Amino acid sequence: MKKRVFAVMTVAAVAASMAAGSVCMAEERTTFTVGFDAEYPPYGYMDENGEYTGFDLELAQAVCDMQGWELVKTPIDWDSKDMELNSGAIDCIWNGFTLNGREDDYTWSVPYVDNSQVIVVSETAGIEDLAGLEGKIVGVQAASAALDLLSDGGDQADLAATFGTLQQFPEYNSAFIELQAGSIDAIAMDIGVAQYQLKEKEGFKILDEALNSEQYAIGFRLGDEELCNTVNDSLFALLEDGTFDELAEKYELTDMVCLGDELTEAVADEEVVETETEVAAE
Amino acid sequence: MKLLEMNHIRKNFDGLEVIRDISLSVEEGEILSIIGPSGSGKSTLLRCATMLEQIDGGEILYMGEKAAYVAEDGRRIYPKGEEARKIHSCFGLVFQSFNLFPHYSVMKNITDAPITIQKRDKKEVYAEARELLAKMGLSDKENAYPCQLSGGQCQRVAIARALALNPKILFFDEPTSALDPELTGEVLKVIKSLADLQITMVIVTHEMSFARDISDRVIFMDNGVVALEGKPDEVFDADHTRIREFLGKFRME
Amino acid sequence: MNFTVMLEQLGNGMLKSLGIFLLTLVFSLPLGLLISFGRMSKNKLLQNIVKIYISIMRGTPLMLQLLVVYFGPYYLFGMRIGGSYRFIAIIVGFALNYAAYFAEIYRSGIESMPVGQYEAAQVLGYSKTQCFFRIIFPQVVKRILPSITNEVITLVKDTSLSFSLAYAEMFTIAKQIAASETTFIPFVVAGIFYYVFNLVVAVTMEKIEKKLSYYQ
Repeated sequence: MKKRVFAVMTVAAVAASMAAGSVCMAEERTTFTVGFDAEYPPYGYMDENGEYTGFDLELAQAVCDMQGWELVKTPIDWDSKDMELNSGAIDCIWNGFTLNGREDDYTWSVPYVDNSQVIVVSETAGIEDLAGLEGKIVGVQAASAALDLLSDGGDQADLAATFGTLQQFPEYNSAFIELQAGSIDAIAMDIGVAQYQLKEKEGFKILDEALNSEQYAIGFRLGDEELCNTVNDSLFALLEDGTFDELAEKYELTDMVCLGDELTEAVADEEVVETETEVAAE
Repeated sequence: MKLLEMNHIRKNFDGLEVIRDISLSVEEGEILSIIGPSGSGKSTLLRCATMLEQIDGGEILYMGEKAAYVAEDGRRIYPKGEEARKIHSCFGLVFQSFNLFPHYSVMKNITDAPITIQKRDKKEVYAEARELLAKMGLSDKENAYPCQLSGGQCQRVAIARALALNPKILFFDEPTSALDPELTGEVLKVIKSLADLQITMVIVTHEMSFARDISDRVIFMDNGVVALEGKPDEVFDADHTRIREFLGKFRME
Repeated sequence: MNFTVMLEQLGNGMLKSLGIFLLTLVFSLPLGLLISFGRMSKNKLLQNIVKIYISIMRGTPLMLQLLVVYFGPYYLFGMRIGGSYRFIAIIVGFALNYAAYFAEIYRSGIESMPVGQYEAAQVLGYSKTQCFFRIIFPQVVKRILPSITNEVITLVKDTSLSFSLAYAEMFTIAKQIAASETTFIPFVVAGIFYYVFNLVVAVTMEKIEKKLSYYQ
């Protein structure tokens, strides 16, 4: 009998600890929890002093300063990003997050970075264009935009079919070590990350021919328009006061940022119209 | 005064009747030996008396009080809690295989139960234990561990352990069967010294001359029943086919 | 990032790994004993429930279990998770998993005890609880210590699985530094940390074994 009571108590204790751990988020927003991959420089990573930083995180900090929120930087396992977002553990995914192909899965902010997917090879490998990858081993990050592009149903699936092997990696660092070691021939990745990596490393180059061109935006829970609009407004304000370009320059992303460009302006106009209607309605 | 009464005891193992309607009693100060061939139910009877096995029929009384019985509807009624502890304190049991606690020293083996269960005074228990060890000829072994002792020494510690609880009656279940012949003597000598102290004992044994020498009364068990009972000479010299057969086998061995 | 900062960061991660390690042991060792009682229970229903529990815990990857414990409350009950729950989920996940392994080790030890020990205790008047904690359990501990050591050493290395919930323990930190600094050194340092950690565990367990070797 005692044993049974113990068992019931154990189950109850576990359930209680679960309940206690959940946080109710219904009140007025005071914090803004950004989910990011801490292994994704220059957008989100650990800096010299062991602090999480990067273009995206500094931008998020600027938005929070503007809104009076406290920024909570939550590193996540990239494979679990949807679960983290849907379960409320984070408020948004803000981390060089590719919009193209995921349009209907999230409520998206305005795109702020234009990012191409490119191929990095060793300078001495003699690979000059995409056709040169035939029969080669190509590395790609698991659950990344480049992988989506190269997988069945992606725009470059036919190209991927010519590869010898498409090898998935948990993060780019080990992929580069393998590339250096010669156990893979090429890596498919975002251009911004590629440029950052190539600054640190010698003997690699980016193929002129890109896999595609794509855009980064902030992904919110589907239907979380209110938060999305607030962040959008803040982004445009930051663009206006020059903070956005300063940050882009700091992280050497000036060539890639697209906030306020023609394409995004259309979205921005829509926003403005929407905001105006709301004002009118009030 | 009758310390133990067992009336119409029955015990089955998987439908096989091991004890069939046995009754016996033990008087205060009496020494009773139970002999008989292997499988005759001697050890089972002892295990029933010490409540290691539950009876399937009959009743057991300690000091005239009903300790365990089987009700009319077949339910076994055994004491619980405080009552059980009281009845358990009436008797001690010495096993064939000693069953000392290997992680306790000799001293702790003897004193742990009196201190933690009977809640007796530590100093008093230790003093008593030293006396017991002296009686057993093991005064120099109080800090030794069972694994450092010979079989005969282990069995003497086990006897001291049982005596430390001051039982009214002490059961021995083939106390020398696990011992080499040369170690048997030292244990029998100790048991004999207890007999001289008028301690009530029930001994299941294969040591025939020992049983004849020490006992006030002998029971010969055969095939789950008491085949013969009486004074040692009456039983050992009886003109009874089964016991003649049994004792004959013994002499030949 | 200079080497000192890296060590400092990894050291912080190490403390968190140590936290997971200690809390897991604190919860899973007693829980495992309770579960082993359930496993040996005469109640068939309880016994079978525990059997299924152990089978699931041993038959599925710990990483998967961590994900289920962390995200389960949301997917099953629609509860919003966040804040400190990440750490709680890790401890709950590890404790539940390790308790299953410990339960089977306890069971093997308890079932290997000779029945004579129980009988001697019973005749001497020990209650069932007294018998278990004074007579049986101390001997069981000695018998199962080598198996426990094995599990504890595995646990040291398994703490790194917390990276699947992105909890900033040593391995997660090492991966992050490796990514930002494009270097392999954090992994080497992490490897040395884990090895030294386990060396300490192994030496400690050996000391305990020696302490218990006064009897056979």
